[in-house]
Amino acid sequence: MAGIKLSAVKKTYPGSSEPAVKGVDLDIQDGEFVVLVGPSGCGKSTLLRMIAGLETISAGEIVIGDKVVNTMEPAERDIAMVFQNYALYPHMSVRQNLSYGLKNRKMARSEIDRRIEETAAILQIGDYLERKPRALSGGQRQRVAMGRAIVRDPAAFLFDEPLSNLDAKLRLHMRGEIKHLHNRLRTTSVYVTHDQLEAMTLADRLVVLNNGLIEQVGRPLDLYQKPASTFVAGFLGAPAMNLMEAEVAEGALMLGGAALAGGLQARPGRVTAGIRPEAIRLRAEPGNFRLDYVEELGGTRIVHGHIGAQRMIAQTDLATELSDEMTAELPGAELHFFHAETGQRL
Amino acid sequence: MLRAGLFPFPPFGFPMQTKRTTFRSYWLPYLLIAPQLAITLIFFIWPAGQAVWQSFLQEDAFGLSTKFVGLRNYVKLLNSPEYLASFETTVIFTVCTAGLSLGLALLFAVAVDRMIRTASAYTTFILWPYAVAPAIAGVLWWFMFNPSVGVLTYALQTMGYDWNHRLSGTDAMILVVLASSWKQISYNFLFFLAGLQSIPQSLREAAAIDGAGPVKRFFTVVFPLLSPTTFFLLVVNINYTMFDTFSTIDASTAGGPGQSTTILVYKVYEDGYKGLDLGSSAAQSVILMGIVMVLTFIQFRYIERRVQY
Repeated sequence: MAGIKLSAVKKTYPGSSEPAVKGVDLDIQDGEFVVLVGPSGCGKSTLLRMIAGLETISAGEIVIGDKVVNTMEPAERDIAMVFQNYALYPHMSVRQNLSYGLKNRKMARSEIDRRIEETAAILQIGDYLERKPRALSGGQRQRVAMGRAIVRDPAAFLFDEPLSNLDAKLRLHMRGEIKHLHNRLRTTSVYVTHDQLEAMTLADRLVVLNNGLIEQVGRPLDLYQKPASTFVAGFLGAPAMNLMEAEVAEGALMLGGAALAGGLQARPGRVTAGIRPEAIRLRAEPGNFRLDYVEELGGTRIVHGHIGAQRMIAQTDLATELSDEMTAELPGAELHFFHAETGQRL
Repeated sequence: MLRAGLFPFPPFGFPMQTKRTTFRSYWLPYLLIAPQLAITLIFFIWPAGQAVWQSFLQEDAFGLSTKFVGLRNYVKLLNSPEYLASFETTVIFTVCTAGLSLGLALLFAVAVDRMIRTASAYTTFILWPYAVAPAIAGVLWWFMFNPSVGVLTYALQTMGYDWNHRLSGTDAMILVVLASSWKQISYNFLFFLAGLQSIPQSLREAAAIDGAGPVKRFFTVVFPLLSPTTFFLLVVNINYTMFDTFSTIDASTAGGPGQSTTILVYKVYEDGYKGLDLGSSAAQSVILMGIVMVLTFIQFRYIERRVQY
């Protein structure tokens, strides 16, 4: 087991003028579960592949444990990777898939067998060790892919969107299993996903990437409660935070000439104001909120509507009565303020 | 492009889908397969039947009388040292040509598969020989190795080797093997490249992480996954060398010197059209047909089982 340290890591693909990763510093502790999250093209997969050694590092330094791995082959880095399409060897049985990496490292037969038994027990794949991957279901393949990583007992696990090929129900289940597995094994893990829910639930620490740079690093709840920028605010949470171009004047939030919230400490001037859908309090009496449509989630409702010209999404419980004209109350303490131009938190 | 269409087998993991169509009328399905049946009957079954019948006959030297001789043509053939020598020649020729063209094609395909920018240009160049007619290919190599004016002969001479495929049977064999493989490389290359490109990149990456170097990766992961393609090409290449190389051989060595490049199919032609021994020629083609049927049967029955995963 080991920590991973990234210092000013950059990646420029040949023939491309703009770097895909523009200088990332990140210190991953031993045993930590770090999730890299961001929209497609943000550089998260590139970053993971650089840690794995599948992409060269254009500038900067990556340290795994106490070794600089910049020029090391993937095999020498003592990492294991779980791929999006599982990348199981289709011509080998599950047992051969698991033992391939160990045999290549000239491990003793008895030790290989012992490890396979142990891994199979952890993942409950003992019943189909002699099957070929094509005879397995999606969830079983996923387990074997994880088994191939676990059996190696590496310094770190790297996950490249491992759940994105599964259907929704199985994804939820496997997400739980990965979390459970990490609690048990405590192996340093780096996990790439574009699914913010997966990111929130799995991460000890969350790294939000945007356009090749880190937007924010921190515990999932901290990021949710105190997003450092409008990007993080809009990315984490479903439905996403409401963001509006507004103005603060005399301690009140003004939107389209009407005061939305008062008693604020914020500095006067133009701002981007944000509020989470669940923080908005809706009342049935006619007021500033025009209801457009409602999504029923069973336990809660997502109410889409407008305040003036501004689209607004609110989440309410089932007890709240709905009508076409409603009053939305935005508690001052729940408001987030961002710089109108840079989008940085104020 | 290459990725789709040319690979003769479905991608891994997905079983071939079989669709069943039910016809309402009784005669429509027969009408639909009639053209194919007609072609098979007219151009294969009928001439093959004629050959079988002919192989039991013997004609006099002037073509005036024909008599039924039963299996005598066959008995004579199997007791003829020349015919048995032609067998040996065919085996050597087939193994060398198939081996050389498959091996080089795989090497080229692996090389092109690793390229990023210039791959399509190389692919185009490697494919060109396939567009050359076999007879032209034969003449081309015949010129290059011509004992008096050939470029390669001259080059070999400066290195101290006296090339003469008109006198040396070994030289002649090398010449026909080169000429025949050269064309076939293009075809094999295309299939190997398509096969390589259908292997997901992540499999090689997983193997790299699993501690396999490039060579080990090729032999333990890439090559096994190529085995359906390799098997298909093996069948095609053996059939190619046993039949389609006729014009290449005719244009370059004409079976000589002596009998050193007379493969079975060439001997059929030589005995039939030059020697005018139609009975023996027909018996030879029947034997050849039998060999190909047995070979193909063995290939599909025993080897194909091992290449499935």
